[in-house]
Amino acid sequence: MAIALGLTIVFGMLRLVNFAHGAFYIIGAYVGLVVTEHVGLLAGIIAAPVAVALFAIALDFALLRRFYDKEPTAQILVTFGVAIVVEETLRLIFTGTTRTYVVPAWVQGSLNLGFTQYPTYRIAFGLGVIVLVIAVWLFIQRTDYGLIVRAGIRDRTMVQLLGGNVRQASTVIFALGAALAGLVGAAASPIYSIDPGKGFEFLVPSFVVVVIGGLGSFWGAVLGGLLVGELQSLTTLFLPAASDLVIYVAMALVLLVKPSGLFGESEVIRG
Amino acid sequence: MKQVGFYGLTALGLVLFPFAIHPIGGYPGLATQILIVGIAAIGFNLLLGYAGLLSYGQAMFYGVGSYVALLTVQRFFPQWPSIWLSLLVAIAFVSVMALIIGLLTVRLYGIYFALLTLAFAQMFYFIVFQWKSLTRGDDGLQVVTNATLQLGFTSVDLTRTFPDFDLGPFGNLHDVHYWYAFAAIITLVVLAFMRALIRSQFGEILAAIRENEERSTFVGFDPLRYKVAAFTIAGMLTGLSGGLKGLYEASTGVDTLSIDMSGSFVIFAVVGGIKTLFGPLVGTGLIMYLQNVVSGNPVFGNGWRLIEGLIFVAVIVFLPGGLLGSFKKKRAHAALANAVRVSPVEGRP
Repeated sequence: MAIALGLTIVFGMLRLVNFAHGAFYIIGAYVGLVVTEHVGLLAGIIAAPVAVALFAIALDFALLRRFYDKEPTAQILVTFGVAIVVEETLRLIFTGTTRTYVVPAWVQGSLNLGFTQYPTYRIAFGLGVIVLVIAVWLFIQRTDYGLIVRAGIRDRTMVQLLGGNVRQASTVIFALGAALAGLVGAAASPIYSIDPGKGFEFLVPSFVVVVIGGLGSFWGAVLGGLLVGELQSLTTLFLPAASDLVIYVAMALVLLVKPSGLFGESEVIRG
Repeated sequence: MKQVGFYGLTALGLVLFPFAIHPIGGYPGLATQILIVGIAAIGFNLLLGYAGLLSYGQAMFYGVGSYVALLTVQRFFPQWPSIWLSLLVAIAFVSVMALIIGLLTVRLYGIYFALLTLAFAQMFYFIVFQWKSLTRGDDGLQVVTNATLQLGFTSVDLTRTFPDFDLGPFGNLHDVHYWYAFAAIITLVVLAFMRALIRSQFGEILAAIRENEERSTFVGFDPLRYKVAAFTIAGMLTGLSGGLKGLYEASTGVDTLSIDMSGSFVIFAVVGGIKTLFGPLVGTGLIMYLQNVVSGNPVFGNGWRLIEGLIFVAVIVFLPGGLLGSFKKKRAHAALANAVRVSPVEGRP
């Protein structure tokens, strides 16, 4: 869900379709891995989003800027290409083997919640995501960057005339979306194992989440994430063979019936 | 006359192809694979190049085509081990599937269309993956087939090879299976079909819809009908390609339906050049050839997909028309410049 958040922010605010979003996740996971091994888990979780944000800024300057005004098809293609390059570069550096974090002791325990035992780290992760969601929302709503970019989508020329730097604000928002993915990559990896292919593996379900919630809708991504998670665990319970199938059926149904998603505005469909 | 030149040159190229790649590390079997996969890329080009629809799920037609073709010889009609029949069943099945999915998907645009096709492809992936009694799931199908190709009253075993004949640096005729000849003939037919299609009124209307859908609606065309037709034809060709793959290799697996496979078709077509007739085939050939040569190299072996990704990004950024498209564009520019020079007033767009 938190990965989906970055994806939807970038699409919603920059109108950029980003197939490289999974690449941000996996870069974050590997940066986190290296820093965790040498310094510690907390340092890893801090270093990952910073590194990924820097990477995203470089990518934005070098490549993606030329594609902001292009049709979505071109954006899909170029970000898809970037995703391959990132995945394969990581594969060369870290080889394709699956890696796991060595987690410190405080992470490994579990907490008695009265009705059930639950791993401490997962609880901390869940709480962290809630805090993150609120922080990002506040950033978009309350800072000038969020304002400029949102206004820039409606009328770029006017915003620039009024002295707003749409370019710079766009880069900041893009880096923010990427940093979110990087942060999640580092923070989630003690729970899931990592390998270079994971980026793309996570990208596809997060598209499902974003589509169901409504492409570009902030709360849509949050609720879509909860909904997809719930749907998948219910199917796993009652009909395990269909648990992967069901989320794509849901995605297709949403696209067919209301392409703007459950919580999206309907003006964006003509892309 | 031009017609004859087109067929003659294409046929000549197809005859020389398996030998031409021999000195640079290719082999006839690779040539066969390239042609078979290339047919799917040609079909995909009808969507992305001519109709402007980026389908991110072409692998579903490719994979299902390969499964249906193999199941036809193994399960459905084992009493008639015929390649024609098997291909026919695969094409028919996939065409109906493409028609239905096309009717559902072409109403959407851009990212929504891409994601909906991706969702359908994922559904088929997991259905094939889970329907173990029919598809054997993760293991894939390996079929011992004696399917032959009926020609008139005789039937040909395509796994046979041509007679021994040394060609020096270009290998030996003996290395070429009848399969290559069959794939080459089908490729020629598909190319001729596509050429006729994009030059027909249908092709022109499709391009008009891509450039300006609203205007083409005002003129009186129903864009949806044309897009569904394009989607179905592309699906049909992809199903044919999948069917050939299944029969040629006598095996298939669930990765033929994967997102990676769908992505490969995109890469092949874009690198070679969408909106060109031969581009997708050239792109398929180039990438599959590089994959073969580079991944066999002890130093760069692990890096071939990185190279593929870099080529892909480089083409999108520097040669948006693809390898062949950029060449064509230069010629078109030159022609336009000439036209403007000849009649400076009327020549203006």
